[in-house]
Amino acid sequence: MPAMFIAFLFPLVLFSSVIIGAVASLLFYLSPNELLQAFTSAETWFALRLTLSSSLISLIASLFLGIPSAYVLARYRFAGKVVLETLLDLPMVTPPLVAGLGLLFLLGRNNPVGHTLNNLGVEVLFTPLAIIVAQTYVATSVIARSAQATFSQQDTEYRHMAMTLGLSSGWTFILVELPMAAKGLVAAIILGWARALGEFGATLMIAGATRMYIETLPVAVYLSISSGESELAVACAVILLALAFLLLIGIRLVNTAYSTVRIRHVEYSV
Amino acid sequence: MSNIQFESVQCRLLKNISFSIEQGESVALMGPSGSGKSTLLKVAAGLLAYKGRAQIGGASIDKLPRHKAGIGYLSQDLHLFPHLNVENNIRLALLFGMGRKISCSDRIAQSLALARATHLAKLKPAELSGGERQRAALARTIARQPNLLLLDEPFSSLDAVNKKDLWFELKQLQTAHCMTMIVVSHDIEEASFLADRILYLRGGELTVEQASRYRNSANEIQSLAVSQPSNYYI
Repeated sequence: MPAMFIAFLFPLVLFSSVIIGAVASLLFYLSPNELLQAFTSAETWFALRLTLSSSLISLIASLFLGIPSAYVLARYRFAGKVVLETLLDLPMVTPPLVAGLGLLFLLGRNNPVGHTLNNLGVEVLFTPLAIIVAQTYVATSVIARSAQATFSQQDTEYRHMAMTLGLSSGWTFILVELPMAAKGLVAAIILGWARALGEFGATLMIAGATRMYIETLPVAVYLSISSGESELAVACAVILLALAFLLLIGIRLVNTAYSTVRIRHVEYSV
Repeated sequence: MSNIQFESVQCRLLKNISFSIEQGESVALMGPSGSGKSTLLKVAAGLLAYKGRAQIGGASIDKLPRHKAGIGYLSQDLHLFPHLNVENNIRLALLFGMGRKISCSDRIAQSLALARATHLAKLKPAELSGGERQRAALARTIARQPNLLLLDEPFSSLDAVNKKDLWFELKQLQTAHCMTMIVVSHDIEEASFLADRILYLRGGELTVEQASRYRNSANEIQSLAVSQPSNYYI
C-alpha cells in the first residue's frame, strides 16, 4: 500500500471518528424510553411543526429571490456584477449573530424600513414572521450562488437553439433552461432548505426565543439546554440530525438519478 | 448578405463577405476548418451580432423576431434538449410561431420518417449514437418547415448508406417546399448533391464560387439515392 495513501488516510479516519463519536454520543445519551418520551412531548412537536412550516415558507421565498438573481448573474454581463456577487456571498460568510444584528437594526422602528413596515401595520421583529425573514436571508444566498454555478455551466447554445425554434426568452427559460438545470437546482434547494432548518443565530436576534411561540428546533435545543432539560434538547437535536441525514440522502438520490445513463445497443436501420 | 464582418475578441473571423441567395436555391459552404463557415451560418441564423447587411426578404436578420424569421438551424453540436425525448424535442419546435393550426402528431411523424428516425421517437438524446442524434436533430429542424434551412455539417456522423438516403430526402423536401438552404460541408460529393452553388471560404473570405455539378440534373440526383426514398415527405 503506498505510503502517501496511508499518511493521508490518517487525518480522514481521525476526523471521521470524531464525527461518528459526536453523532453516537447524541444518539445514545438517552435511553430509548427517555428519548421516546421527549419525542412525544407537546413542545417537541410544536418546535418541529414551526421549523418545518417556517422553513418551507422561507424556501419558497428564497426560490423567488434566488433563482432570478442566479440567472441574471450567470447569463449577463453588467457593471457592478462583481459587487452584487460579493454581496450575495455575505450572508453565507457573516456570523449569523452579526447578520441578525444587522436585520434587527434594519427592521427596527428607528430605521426607515422598519418604520415604514410598522406604519403599514406589519410587525416583524419578535414575531414568527421574523423567523421567516432570518431563514430567507441565509437560504437565499445559498440557493442563489449554487443556482448561479448551475446556470453558468449550461451551454448557452441550447438557449440559442431554442430561440431559433421559435421560443421566446421566457419560454426558453421555463421549458429548456430550468429543466436542464434541474439537478443543480434540486441540490441548491436542498442545501438552502438545510440552511433554513438549522438557522439559529439570526433568528435569536430578530425573533427572540420564547417557549411555545418562537421555538424552532434549534431554538428549542438552546432553551432546553439553558434550563437543564437535556432530554428535550437531545430529542430536538436528534430530529435535526435526522432531517439533515434525509436531506443528504436526497442529494445523493438526485445525483444518482441524473448520472444513470442507459446504454442501448445501437442498430442502424436502412 | 453584403459586407458581412464578424469579429471575436481575438480576431476578425469574417471579412467583407457578400453574396445573395434566391428563394428555393441551395448553397453549400466549403473550406478548411476555421475558415468561418459555421460563423457565417450563425450570422445567418441571427445568433451573432455582425457588421454589414444581412437580410431575409428585405428584412434585416437581427431585427426579425425569431419565431417569425422562418429559419431552421441545425448546429454542428446539434443541441438536442437532453431532458426531452426525441418526440418532445420536435414537439417543442412546433409549440410557437407556427401561424396556422397544424397537427403536431402528424408533423412529428412526418419529420421523423423523413429523417429515418421514427424508431428513436421515445428515446432521450443520451441514449442515441452520434448518427442517430444527427437524424433526430434534422427531424426537429425540418419539422417547422422553415423558409431558410441552415445546416452545419448535418450528416458528418452518418454511415454512407444512411447519409445518401438522407441527402435524397432532404433535397426532395427542399425542392417540394421551395426552401432556401445553406449547408456547411467538408464533403464535395455531399455539397455537389445538395447545393446548386458552392461557395468556398478561406480565412474568413469568400474565395471561389462555382455552380454545383449536379445542378438541375434530377436524374443524377435520383441515381445517387441508394435505397428507395421514404413515402413520407412534408
